[in-house]
Amino acid sequence: MKILIIEDEKGLRESIEEYFTEDGNICETAASYSEAIAKVNVYRYDCILLDITLPGGTGIDILKNVKENNYPDGVLIISAKNSLDDRLEGLDLGADDYLVKPFHLSELRARVMAIIRRKSFSGNNLLLFNELTIDLLAKSVKVHNQPVKLTRKEYALLLYFIANKGKVVSKNAIAEHLWGDGIDMANNFDFIYSHIKNLRKKLMEAGSNDYIQAAYGMGYKFTDQ
Amino acid sequence: MKLLARYNRVTLLTTVVVMLITGIIYYIAIHQILINDVDKDLEVEENEIFEYARQNNHLPQVFESNDQQISFYDARPGSVQRHYIDTLYKLAAIPGRRRYRHGERYESGRGLVTSVTTGGRYYRVLIVKSTVETEDLVKIIFGITIGVILLLLLTLFIINRLLLNRLWQPFQNLLKELRSFNIVDSKDIPQIDTTIAEFKELNQAVTSMSARVKNDYKDLKTFTENASHELLTPIAVINSKLDTLLQTDNFSQQQSKLLNDLYTAVSRLTRLNQSLLLLVKIENHLLEGNHEIDLRPVIEELIIQFEEIFQDKGLKVSAELSDKRLNTNPYLIDVLLNNLLSNAIRHNHKDGEIRITLNDHKLLIQNTGENVPLQTETLFKRFHKSSSSEGNGLGLTISRQICDNLGYTLEYDFHNGLHTFTVLF
Repeated sequence: MKILIIEDEKGLRESIEEYFTEDGNICETAASYSEAIAKVNVYRYDCILLDITLPGGTGIDILKNVKENNYPDGVLIISAKNSLDDRLEGLDLGADDYLVKPFHLSELRARVMAIIRRKSFSGNNLLLFNELTIDLLAKSVKVHNQPVKLTRKEYALLLYFIANKGKVVSKNAIAEHLWGDGIDMANNFDFIYSHIKNLRKKLMEAGSNDYIQAAYGMGYKFTDQ
Repeated sequence: MKLLARYNRVTLLTTVVVMLITGIIYYIAIHQILINDVDKDLEVEENEIFEYARQNNHLPQVFESNDQQISFYDARPGSVQRHYIDTLYKLAAIPGRRRYRHGERYESGRGLVTSVTTGGRYYRVLIVKSTVETEDLVKIIFGITIGVILLLLLTLFIINRLLLNRLWQPFQNLLKELRSFNIVDSKDIPQIDTTIAEFKELNQAVTSMSARVKNDYKDLKTFTENASHELLTPIAVINSKLDTLLQTDNFSQQQSKLLNDLYTAVSRLTRLNQSLLLLVKIENHLLEGNHEIDLRPVIEELIIQFEEIFQDKGLKVSAELSDKRLNTNPYLIDVLLNNLLSNAIRHNHKDGEIRITLNDHKLLIQNTGENVPLQTETLFKRFHKSSSSEGNGLGLTISRQICDNLGYTLEYDFHNGLHTFTVLF
């Protein structure tokens, strides 16, 4: 997949680029409005990560430009502005998603993958990973074509893992993804462990390989290697 | 003490004192003048006696008339010093006389003691005049004076009551405005309708002060908002760098512990920052837009969302919910419910209990916890939190602010070991 990262903050831009760069992915970056608009108008991307406040202009204008020219690129706004209005304005203008800074890279990746899936698998709602088949519309999971009954959170967790396959995902990121802001009330994230244990057990009992690895007590890694 | 009461006390007291002193001086002065008159009469009488004695060489006939008595006594020559005395006037039994002193036939009098030598003999002469008429006159004057004083006091009192109450009306109005003054409101203190210079001045001072205060407050809020905003980017960078660092290599146990602590600290920092921004936005009424929602499914959804956390702490959750439709801001309601429920979980003990009750009038969120009531004065203050709390101390501040904005009331109560937060719709 091909991704354009439009972000003026160098540290953040580089982190995102590094996280997304892997075999089969092409990441390009733009640090200013003019640079971004030049790239947007020449190349097509699967997904554009768009910061709103940019030197030389606003991300909203880039979004408008994309939509006016009917470019098919997916657009995910990453903004420090967390207000309903900004969010609504962005989504009204045709952005696919809106993520508020600061965010976990794994969360960003999960969202990007969701956008790309929506864009490219039009009509086909199946997500395949080795022996796993996930029906995104019915929200059901099959292992070797045998249905596995997952809870809502286990399903979300599995999707999250697959979007971040091969990456170590921190417990914090998982907790925030599944429980949202409410998570700060938990003193520790031990209950995530039991949650992951359940998911793993269900998948393996259905005949799946063990893809979930614990990573040094900090997080988990979903990998088939 | 009210100003009017104080003012009345001072003015009335001074009036009484001044009037009394004036009355006394008046009394003494008039008394003196009248006594002088009597003394002159006595002197005229004395001169008549002297004249009579010089011409006739014997004492005049003594008779009583016109409230006046003259008596002669033998005396050793040169022994009498001429002087005036206050004395008693002995009444002759004249019919129609009314005035008696203590039932005796005496009344007050003024006398002149003098001497006369006639026919070779030395006499002491006592001329006494009744001063009853004079005393009566003084009494009448004094009475009238007292009457005037009382009348004046009464008038003053009534005028003060009526007039001052009316005069102070602009002040009362201004006070009412000041009481309802809210730094968060956009409403300014209006110009009070008055012609009194002092009140105008006060009004101006208050108006400009409130404008200044509001301006300062706005600056402060802008500062908070800007500062929180500026913090977002570096936090985002730290967060993303941590995520990247996590991918690099194998970590020792010590390193992973450090990383974990960093994650926790950064996510607390993030939440604190977001809470501050949220608070500013709520206070600025930046989150508007109402929809009709049913609260019941929202709460049910929230309970499902937190299920694992309840289980983790062994909390028993019971909910008694009836449908409640509200025309409100769904985002703020979400934050409010989230905050209140988070508190109920965070401040609970292991295997505790949470009760949620929703009916047409109110929402109750009750939880077990430490068996002491919370301090209600400080409960809703910013950054006030119990030492054991993991929160950022803004949750209840935000909750109260949301309730204020949406026109609800948030109350706290501790009863039967249950901490209860009530939202009254």
